[in-house]
Amino acid sequence: MTTRSAGHLLKDAILAANGKVAGTSVLTHVPQPLSRPFSSAEALEHESVRAIDVGAAKTSPSGTGFLDGIQRYSVAGRFGLVPVIRGYVAAAVLGRRDESLSVQHHASEEFVAVSIDRLSADQLRQLETTGLPLYDSGGADREHPILDIHLAARVVESRRESVELAVMQSHLRDRPGGWLVVDGSMTSYLRQEDESRILGLIKSHETQFLDGDDLRTALTLPAGYRSSVFARGTDERDKAYTWYLRLWPWDEHDLLHGLVRLERAPTAEAVEQASEISAWMLSERSPLSAPDSRWDRLIYPIRQVESYLRAHVGEWL
Amino acid sequence: MTQSDDNRTIGRVVATEAMPAGPHQFQFWTATDTDLGIGAIVRVDGERDRVVYAVVTDGRSYSDLATPLHDVVAAEGDPAGTSGPTRRTEVRLWTGAVLRQYPEEPLQPVPLAAVRMATKEDVEFALRMDTYMRVEPVGGVPIGLYTGGGMSAPVYLDADFLLGPASAHLNISGVSGLATKTSAVEFFLTSMFQKFPSHKGSIAAVCINVKGPDLCFLDQPGELTDVDREMYRQLEIDPRPFDRVCYYAPFKADGVNLNTLRSHPDLVGSVQPLVWGLREVLDYHEVLLNRDDIDAKSDAFIDFLTDRVVEKEFTDEWGTTHRVCTFSDLERLFRSIFEGLEAAGRSDMWRTHHIATIRKVRNRLLNISTRCKGLVTDDGTVSDLPFGDFEDRSVQVLDVAGMDQLAQDLVFTRVVSKLREHLERRDLGVDHVIVFVDELNKYAPGDGPDTYVRKMLLDISERGRYLGLVLFGAQQFRSQVHRRVVGNAGTTLYGRMDMDELTTPGYQVLSPATKIKLATLPKGELMVRHPHFTQPVFVRFPRPPILPGPIGVQRFPPAKDVDFEDAVVVQLSILDRRILPGRVKELIVDHREEEVRRALLATRRAQPDDVLAFFKAALGTAVARERVGGGGGTTTRLKQVEDPYAS
Repeated sequence: MTTRSAGHLLKDAILAANGKVAGTSVLTHVPQPLSRPFSSAEALEHESVRAIDVGAAKTSPSGTGFLDGIQRYSVAGRFGLVPVIRGYVAAAVLGRRDESLSVQHHASEEFVAVSIDRLSADQLRQLETTGLPLYDSGGADREHPILDIHLAARVVESRRESVELAVMQSHLRDRPGGWLVVDGSMTSYLRQEDESRILGLIKSHETQFLDGDDLRTALTLPAGYRSSVFARGTDERDKAYTWYLRLWPWDEHDLLHGLVRLERAPTAEAVEQASEISAWMLSERSPLSAPDSRWDRLIYPIRQVESYLRAHVGEWL
Repeated sequence: MTQSDDNRTIGRVVATEAMPAGPHQFQFWTATDTDLGIGAIVRVDGERDRVVYAVVTDGRSYSDLATPLHDVVAAEGDPAGTSGPTRRTEVRLWTGAVLRQYPEEPLQPVPLAAVRMATKEDVEFALRMDTYMRVEPVGGVPIGLYTGGGMSAPVYLDADFLLGPASAHLNISGVSGLATKTSAVEFFLTSMFQKFPSHKGSIAAVCINVKGPDLCFLDQPGELTDVDREMYRQLEIDPRPFDRVCYYAPFKADGVNLNTLRSHPDLVGSVQPLVWGLREVLDYHEVLLNRDDIDAKSDAFIDFLTDRVVEKEFTDEWGTTHRVCTFSDLERLFRSIFEGLEAAGRSDMWRTHHIATIRKVRNRLLNISTRCKGLVTDDGTVSDLPFGDFEDRSVQVLDVAGMDQLAQDLVFTRVVSKLREHLERRDLGVDHVIVFVDELNKYAPGDGPDTYVRKMLLDISERGRYLGLVLFGAQQFRSQVHRRVVGNAGTTLYGRMDMDELTTPGYQVLSPATKIKLATLPKGELMVRHPHFTQPVFVRFPRPPILPGPIGVQRFPPAKDVDFEDAVVVQLSILDRRILPGRVKELIVDHREEEVRRALLATRRAQPDDVLAFFKAALGTAVARERVGGGGGTTTRLKQVEDPYAS
């Protein structure tokens, strides 16, 4: 008599109760708490979220740009307990023409982030002699060696967003009417001129906007299907139209495998074009971004922007 | 060493710990859309005026695809499926083998700097041609054009390393029909004759045509394309055929029709018969006689004949005086010996030589004139190359294509030996002689018995450069030629090569990419190795300005063989077109064929003003033909001894 392993027994049990068996990723650490697990949504396209077949993959228009940014920082030293953070941020847009990607815009910045109020005049003067821009990371009333680094990291993130924004503006200025796919949420790009040509591609799903059946429908989309378009955010300034799209089948994988969320500026056109734009993204499944672990959600052009930026980081690598 | 504006940056040297740049080899990348290819010459400009010249020996291309499986997944298992809207990033990574560094000391790794296409000046410097092209007097001979990056530059070989004394000999390998070996040699001889520096002395060529009509039309112009003419212009060579060519061919077995494909009436006038007699052959009996067959006793008897009998007054024990100059004379001597021994009742020994040995030698020697009929005559008439009167920039073509292997060996051995003798005495007429031999693997094979021909080729290869005797050898498979013969060739050319041949040890120094290029080399392109070039270099050469053999045979179809009388008429008509055939036939009707042949040869040699009168005088008085077996004469019956060597 053969003894089935606990893993097999568990799989059998899941399948017997109409569940779906997931992948085999082994985890060892408890994940960090999610900073913002829930948000609100507003139905747009349909009263309740549906799964919509987007049809055959289509190539996006020639000249489409792809934007991404990177950030690096390290603790260069300390004045007492105060950390001195050296930061580097960069962003680039690669444009695609005749199947080839080429750099359209690139910007980078190296700087120092420090809690300026906690420095003496001499310390501040010495930092200024480096010629690097100084950004104040602020600080709580009480010193905390880890919290202070977290605050500096926010500065780094803010600088990256600034550089990305600058690059985006340059690109849209040079190529009016052209499409731009950005890695991540397009919140930062809202209210920009030509915002309707920007498409945000979100790979992580920390924040859930839907719930109940809507959420189940959205997160269990079959490959090649999108969800109905809905509006995320309650604040008019942050509002964007968004929908889920399954790029790859999630059979034998976990729920979020191959699932991306697309964002556009809140215009009627965004709803009308949701299927067509989804079909563009389906065509981006090839070439595959493997061996990157995010290959199921990371499209190749965005990966190439990352590769380009990483190649320029130099000593930060 | 300054960098010109027209050689833009095409790549950049890269080095990693696993793949570092060395002083002899380095890697660089280029854009995927590049003119660069295997064999291209590039330069790298480092700091402090350091410049490195290199030839591209390998190239690789790869993308960021980690495993083929990822491509399968992306295409969802369908090879015909879409490849996606974005082409994968591709890298073109090249390997450069260093040709030269400036400054040469200290020798350092190649700098990690920009890579540029070489200019004409760069090619000259990279190949060290400046050492003999930028000095007075200039000592280079063009071998072809280097082409790369939309530019072409002449490539010169150092004359001192071609014809000696520094180094000598040229060897060319490649598969038949595709490697254009003969065309390459014809072009290069044209180049040599026009560009060989005059201060280095006079030069002539002896070409041995061993197959087909390859070398039969060196004096006839061939058709050239505009591309060919442009190449000649760049090489500063006048595309014209050789103007001093003399052809030599043996007769066929009938003794009057020439054994050559150059027998068309318009061309046969420049073909001289190649006819040798006993003396010419006996000196090279080792070529003709099988060493396994001819033992020391036979050797001793042949030496006796050579030293004491041939072309000397020799009186035998029975009082007969012989002067052996021809095979017929030799036969008379043998007959006299056998009859004398028979008459004396001593049938076993003559002058310490056993009768069996004498019979064996007789059989083997007299058989030569049968086996080499047309080249070797019984009657002593000789028509030979003008040893001692070779002219500068002249070509002597020996057409032995129609002869059997033994006769070819004899021609080759004797001609080369005579050239060597005359060059040693400095009385050949020229300072340097190039001997072109195709099918070298047949004459100097790497394995098999140690033949006289091979020994001689080894001797030329190793000592010829001091004498001015230079071997231009060609063969399909270099690996099958004796390694000392090919190893002594200072300059080596490779045309299209066979892949099996390229796997042999002699090609281990070549990169896989270079081997692939050699295996697919188009006609008119060669890889050159020369002492000044630290790496093999690819060059293109134009069609030779000479009528190709196959076309020549179509344009000048060989004359049909005619019977003896008509052949004599034809031969004399070449000397004087006014000669009446009927008159010639009247003259020869009562003469034996060997008498007519002798007279004909003498007339051809003399080329008199009054051809017919000279021919008539040479014929002499007709002797009434004897009836064989008529019972008129008395003969001494030889003792019936079976000749064990008769077969």
